[in-house]
Amino acid sequence: MSENPYQTYDARILEVKDLTSREKLFTLRFLDPEVEAKFNFKPGQFVIVDIRGFGEFPISICSSPTRRGYLQLCIRKVGRMTKFVHKMKEGDVVGIRGPYGNGFPMEKMEGSNLILVAGGLGMAPLRSVLWYAIDTGKYENVWLLYGTKAYEDILFRDEIIHLLKHGEAMNCSVKLAYEVESPSCIYLEQGFSDRVCKGVVTDLFRGEEFDVNNTYALICGPPVMYKFVIRELLDRKLSPGRIYMTLERRMRCGVGKCGHCVVGTSVSMKYICQDGPVFTYWDALSTRGLI
Amino acid sequence: MRYIKLPSENFERFFKSLEAWGTLYAPVKKGGIYSFQEVHDPAEVARDYNRTMLPPKKFFFRPKEAILRLKNGRWEEEVEAEPMVLFGLHSCDIHGLKILDKVYLDEPADPYYKSRREKTLIIGISCMPDEYCFCKSLGTHFAMDGFDLFLHELPDGWLVRIGSVRGHEIAWENGELFEEVTDEDLANFKEFEEKRAKAFQKEVPQEGLADMLDLAYNSPVWKKYAEICLACGNCNMVCPTCRCYEVCDSWMDAYSSVRERRYDSCFMENHGLVAGGHNFRPTRLDRFRHRYYCKSYFDPTAGYNCVGCGRCDEFCPAKIEHVKVLEEVRGSLK
Ligand SMILES: Cc1cc2nc3c(=O)[nH]c(=O)nc-3n(C[C@H](O)[C@H](O)[C@H](O)COP(=O)(O)OP(=O)(O)OC[C@H]3O[C@@H](n4cnc5c(N)ncnc54)[C@H](O)[C@@H]3O)c2cc1C
Ligand code: SF4
Ligand code: SF4
Ligand code: FES
Repeated sequence: MSENPYQTYDARILEVKDLTSREKLFTLRFLDPEVEAKFNFKPGQFVIVDIRGFGEFPISICSSPTRRGYLQLCIRKVGRMTKFVHKMKEGDVVGIRGPYGNGFPMEKMEGSNLILVAGGLGMAPLRSVLWYAIDTGKYENVWLLYGTKAYEDILFRDEIIHLLKHGEAMNCSVKLAYEVESPSCIYLEQGFSDRVCKGVVTDLFRGEEFDVNNTYALICGPPVMYKFVIRELLDRKLSPGRIYMTLERRMRCGVGKCGHCVVGTSVSMKYICQDGPVFTYWDALSTRGLI
Repeated sequence: MRYIKLPSENFERFFKSLEAWGTLYAPVKKGGIYSFQEVHDPAEVARDYNRTMLPPKKFFFRPKEAILRLKNGRWEEEVEAEPMVLFGLHSCDIHGLKILDKVYLDEPADPYYKSRREKTLIIGISCMPDEYCFCKSLGTHFAMDGFDLFLHELPDGWLVRIGSVRGHEIAWENGELFEEVTDEDLANFKEFEEKRAKAFQKEVPQEGLADMLDLAYNSPVWKKYAEICLACGNCNMVCPTCRCYEVCDSWMDAYSSVRERRYDSCFMENHGLVAGGHNFRPTRLDRFRHRYYCKSYFDPTAGYNCVGCGRCDEFCPAKIEHVKVLEEVRGSLK
């Protein structure tokens, strides 16, 4: 009975890194080389992390499938289980099952421009897309529009600043919006006045032009963000079918059994865990309660 | 389909013979309500029951069950399934199981549900609707499959439909208990079905139901009922197609822990709660409406998520009637 979908596989924590005061980056590797070899995933998919005897919770994979041999999860401390995980150290073992969900259609988007719009923790799944796009080089231009609260909240700060400086060489341009002013932000803004500003993520769209027939937008952020970002994109006539977003719901099983992530009405019901978490705006238009 | 006849005088022997196939469960009257219980004596069986409180889903998807046990740092799987015979399922409940099958047997299959389902014989029995039943309007009043044997009441016995290979085997092994079906039996069967069809007092008109409900998303009727609803979740517990579950780990001692799941209800406030305290269905109105939309979802391959068994009406302490809510919501569009 090895095909029990609720069984998890041992993974060792190779490294724990503080990203901010609330988020840590965990680098993991499966103990069993066979499991490791079989574990393939797509940007936008998630895993369920199992802290034996405490419980399970879903987390997006924030590393890219182009970089094999490890798996990275960016975990925000919000409650019982995530607090426990934050106490874990290098060498500790957790359980992992997955990958789950549909992920972003990376192949379909090849040759196009990608606009990644991230708000807060939404940077985590989009980082997987970002590195995938950079590593494969199969995309025309990649824009990352990233909105955070404050300088201290910028996830993967070193990487983001590196891309601010050297992104052009990789066809990648980063824009950053922050809400709380601080000397560090002002310093950044002085260095990259055209790409860093005080405001919210939608402010980063100002002056931005793109070829709507050759562009896809990929959005991830807090629930309130979607409406505003989508409006910006629709204003520029981007087709709803080119707008992808990754959504969150309470999840228990991850495999379409427990019913927690079900949304929609009598006409269209969807499981966020299986049909998503990546949806197009067309899906949102035909499924009530999706966003 | 193969049809045979079980004469009344052979019922007891037939019933006893089922014990050879596994632990036998059948509807039994306890106080004012019926429930599926282990039985040994055919006299205990309430053959003309209307509905049990908990549907047969309780045998496959348990109200509370351990799914994994942590021993020495590893999860051990525990799939114990004993052979069972569920005797006396009504057609709506058989349809209810088919809807659960679609969820739990779909890849990746739930191993607990699957192993129990595979080891269980389903014996259906015909019934007469009461004031709560509306299965006919949903097309779930007659089971074409999903059973091993189905017993239809005749004046002097039962017309038996054989629905599976195991059903054939039971009939084979008890060959002496059965007879060929006569023209008179067929006439009686037809008469019973016609009488039954006329006895339904409730129906859900299906024309455009799903779209009508969707269009009536902002209907004040949802609000009216959400205010009466006690959010007790009874309707979820008793529904043969509700199957949300919550998971919890608990420690047995310092070395072993158990991962359990138990029935959950979309009426509970934390059903749609996620990290950071954001709730996707914050009000009782949101939750009430969600249940109706989930039950009225029409899957082209499996039909509605409601089989019209009437349990939610009978066991709702606020006396909310499923069909009435749907009718009023739909009516509010005009
Ligand atoms: C597809 C998906 C991807 C996610 N990706 C990430 C990620 O990359 N990084 C990250 O930090 N977080 C992510 N989350 C959120 C993460 O699952 C929750 O933060 C985590 O479950 C909270 O667990 P907890 O025990 O610490 O919190 P709890 O103590 O359980 O409670 C804190 C809050 O979290 C809610 N919660 C509990 N279980 C879940 C759940 N399964 N999903 C959502 N909320 C829940 C509770 O209702 C409560 O409001 C993701 C969620 C989903 C559904
Ligand atoms: S049983 Fe009735 S009162 Fe209880 S939650 Fe369901 S509709 Fe509301
Ligand atoms: S919604 Fe009510 S009538 Fe329909 S299957 Fe569930 S309990 Fe039965
Ligand atoms: S998480 Fe259980 S059904 Fe989606």
